[in-house]
Amino acid sequence: MTALLRADNVGVAYGRAKPVDDVSLTLAAGELMVVVGPNGAGKTTLMKLLTGEISPSGGQVILDGEDLARIPAWRLASKRAVMAQATRLAFPFTVAEVVRIGIDSVGRALTRADRERTIGEALRAADIGHLTGRSYQTLSGGEQQRVQFARTFAQLKAGQRMSDRQVLFLDEPVANLDLAHQIALMESAATLASEGVAVIAVLHDLNLAATFADRILVMHRGRAHALGKPADVVTRANVELIFGVDICRENGSADGLPVVLPQNYARSRMERGAA
Amino acid sequence: MTVLSFNRASRLSRRSLLAGLALAAVALRPGIGRAQAAQRIVAAGGVITEILYALGRQDLIVGVDTTSLHPPEAMRDKANVGYVRALSAEGVLSLRPTVLVAIEGAGPPDTVKLIAEAGVKVERVGEDTSEKGVVERIRVIGRLAGVEAKAEELAAAVERDFALLKQQRDAVTAKKRVLFVLSLQNGRAIVGGKGSSADAIIAHAGAINAAEAVEGYKPVTDEGIISAAPDVILMMQRGNHAAAPAEVFALPAFSATPAAARKALVTMDGLYLLGFGPRTPEAARDLMAAVYGLNGDSGSRRP
Amino acid sequence: MTMIAEAATVSTLFASQRRKLAVAGVLFALLMAALAVISLGSGAVKIAPARVLEVLRGWVAGDPEIMASREALVIVSIRMPRLLLGAMIGAALAVSGALMQGLFRNPLADPGLVGVSSGAALAAAFTIVLGDRIFGTVSAQLPFILLPFGAFFGGLASTLILYAIATRHGRTSVAVMLLAGVALGAFAGSLTGLLSFISDDRQLRDLTFWALGSLSGASWTKVMVIAPLVLPVLLAVPMLARGLNALLMGEAEAFHLGIPVQRLKSAAIVMVAVAVGASVAAAGVIGFVGIVVPHLLRLMFGPDHRMLLPFSALLGATLLTGADLLARTMVAPAELPIGILTAAIGAPFFLWLLLRRDRSLDA
Repeated sequence: MTALLRADNVGVAYGRAKPVDDVSLTLAAGELMVVVGPNGAGKTTLMKLLTGEISPSGGQVILDGEDLARIPAWRLASKRAVMAQATRLAFPFTVAEVVRIGIDSVGRALTRADRERTIGEALRAADIGHLTGRSYQTLSGGEQQRVQFARTFAQLKAGQRMSDRQVLFLDEPVANLDLAHQIALMESAATLASEGVAVIAVLHDLNLAATFADRILVMHRGRAHALGKPADVVTRANVELIFGVDICRENGSADGLPVVLPQNYARSRMERGAA
Repeated sequence: MTVLSFNRASRLSRRSLLAGLALAAVALRPGIGRAQAAQRIVAAGGVITEILYALGRQDLIVGVDTTSLHPPEAMRDKANVGYVRALSAEGVLSLRPTVLVAIEGAGPPDTVKLIAEAGVKVERVGEDTSEKGVVERIRVIGRLAGVEAKAEELAAAVERDFALLKQQRDAVTAKKRVLFVLSLQNGRAIVGGKGSSADAIIAHAGAINAAEAVEGYKPVTDEGIISAAPDVILMMQRGNHAAAPAEVFALPAFSATPAAARKALVTMDGLYLLGFGPRTPEAARDLMAAVYGLNGDSGSRRP
Repeated sequence: MTMIAEAATVSTLFASQRRKLAVAGVLFALLMAALAVISLGSGAVKIAPARVLEVLRGWVAGDPEIMASREALVIVSIRMPRLLLGAMIGAALAVSGALMQGLFRNPLADPGLVGVSSGAALAAAFTIVLGDRIFGTVSAQLPFILLPFGAFFGGLASTLILYAIATRHGRTSVAVMLLAGVALGAFAGSLTGLLSFISDDRQLRDLTFWALGSLSGASWTKVMVIAPLVLPVLLAVPMLARGLNALLMGEAEAFHLGIPVQRLKSAAIVMVAVAVGASVAAAGVIGFVGIVVPHLLRLMFGPDHRMLLPFSALLGATLLTGADLLARTMVAPAELPIGILTAAIGAPFFLWLLLRRDRSLDA
């Protein structure tokens, strides 16, 4: 299987600071990769490099065999969709309009009926059908996040006309969601992956990451600290080293996925209080 | 279509329109309209209106601008075409004038051009503030109104008046310094410097412009006023409102001038003072009297 | 074929929105047409409606006898160019406002922010004050011929300078442009102030008059000069609608959605500079149209630029035509500066809109 997305020794430097330094990875079609790491580890910057939002100061990104820097925006839009951490709107669009804007450019060749079907499908995938006519600005943070997921989803679906080799980027897509919707959104992403879309998501919840990821990339101080199967990467040693948190790791579910529980938390809090 | 125009001016204009309908048919054709009887004048500039009234040819006027404050009946009896620098082409044309008599500064230029293109003769009248300028202005307007003889009479009278003024002026031995203050907002004074119309009337009145150091109408600093050392402060009277000596001389800059000692503040009607029409020698004489004949009280001269 | 419920809802929603817009579009067009007819029929010179029609027919047919009449002169040489100029400038200002607000993602942005007004004002002051000294001996009227050109190129130049300042490595920072616009505006303002200080009495009054804005002095020549600048912009502007919609979510998002963001920003800025520069050159500074019109439309129909841009053109044209109709009939045969009217109508209306919106947001 050829890599759909490949990063060769990419890095970016602002003066002496290197938010991302010498990261290499490959992502195959149908694969779901989760990026984890503490705040400031370079996860979001890595996503920006991989989506083409910023150019690397070293190395290069190859998307579907082409140098990312050479693909014009309009063609890029059919090959990958990006859901950013939080999207604010300056003006009060309705939910349906926000999703429609997602496909205005890439879905220009679609018929009106096809466009509306795509939008409907996206609204259903994000479980926001009941919000269709609401103003985006009046929604809660979690609802807005689901609308943005729907917009990204619609863009992928509309882009499939032009390219069936697509990548979905999700930067902390579940940050504001309740547990049920966290799982629902990741399930939608997993479904897309099963249809052949390569998915790369930044998550904070190690358990959620372990549940849905084919592979997990652990970022630490701008570098790729570990990359591999959840069971191999989410280890007590890695978590201790990177997050500074002592965990109790168990093979919780039947298929051997790791379950992470912080431990000795109460004790360390007491120590802090005493100090 | 007339719903919006219910003001006095347009009612007047409609009335004059009806009255002038018979004439207009003739007047509209260029060439024929030059006949004296059919002359319909729009006066753009206070001095023009003033001279036409002085010549007794107010009957020819169909419209005046907002600076036509003398005589007062001009604004009352004639249609108002707005500020002399913001004329409206259609507004002027609606009065069916044969000629637009305008001071040099009348405009905007595009509008005046449109009016000229519509077949209305546009006559420009100079704004020269010298004795010769004033007299020439009367002659030019007299010619336009078809009353050369009358204008010659008035011009001669004004010339005589100027000659008399010159005698009186020459009799002045110790010239006084007069500072013309155009406006006084938040204690900041805009004064009439060299080349301004105020400069000219001060000279006609046989006094020295205390603000000779600046060009035109300019704001000056408090220290500028003190160093100008005016013996008399001259201001315009706006409507019925005149600045009170107590107010003016309470300002630090003015309190330190020689004028403050005698509370020497002269206020005069703006058009009378700075119009440069037939009343100018008289205005200059009034100013002279106020400046040199002051007995410690402030003089307020009305036309 | 299975039709999922959400798709049906979306279809209904969009269809009802389209119907609403179609009805509104027709109503706006009718309003504009009615105002155009009333404008041609009213003014200081009273002309009976039947005669107006006669003149228009004569004009179309080229009847020399009718064209020689005074009514024809008033309608064809004065009212018609004024109507066209007012409509074009109203459309240009409203569309420029909508573009700027979309570009800066700020409902209070106006064309003045990109330096068009300050640059145009400086250039105008320059021609009025120094034109006299340089060309004074040639012709007293020359500064007024140069003025529109000066204003136009002044507006364009200051916009391009700002653009150059705000662009680094091929990316234009909207925030930098906004701040630089404030600084450049202050600088241009001080130079304008300096020029007005050294100007004489007459020049000073010309400056003030120009700053107030007026459509008086509209002529076919002006229409012919302004139309080739403004009309292409008005025709091209709907092409930016999708891009501006995406841009409202942020520049990165717009890029991800397939919008060539840098090209979009450049196009919008140049279009505004050209349209506003031409408008300012022809009629001076006319405020409030660029803020009130797009804002009103957003409150009525939402922020979609595919509606907002063409409707702004239509409603802007209507608003300025209406304001000018009032300006030239209210105190006829004199006329009011139109800037006074647009602000007098616009400002309270705007406040009312804001109050109303706040209440609906609170609820």
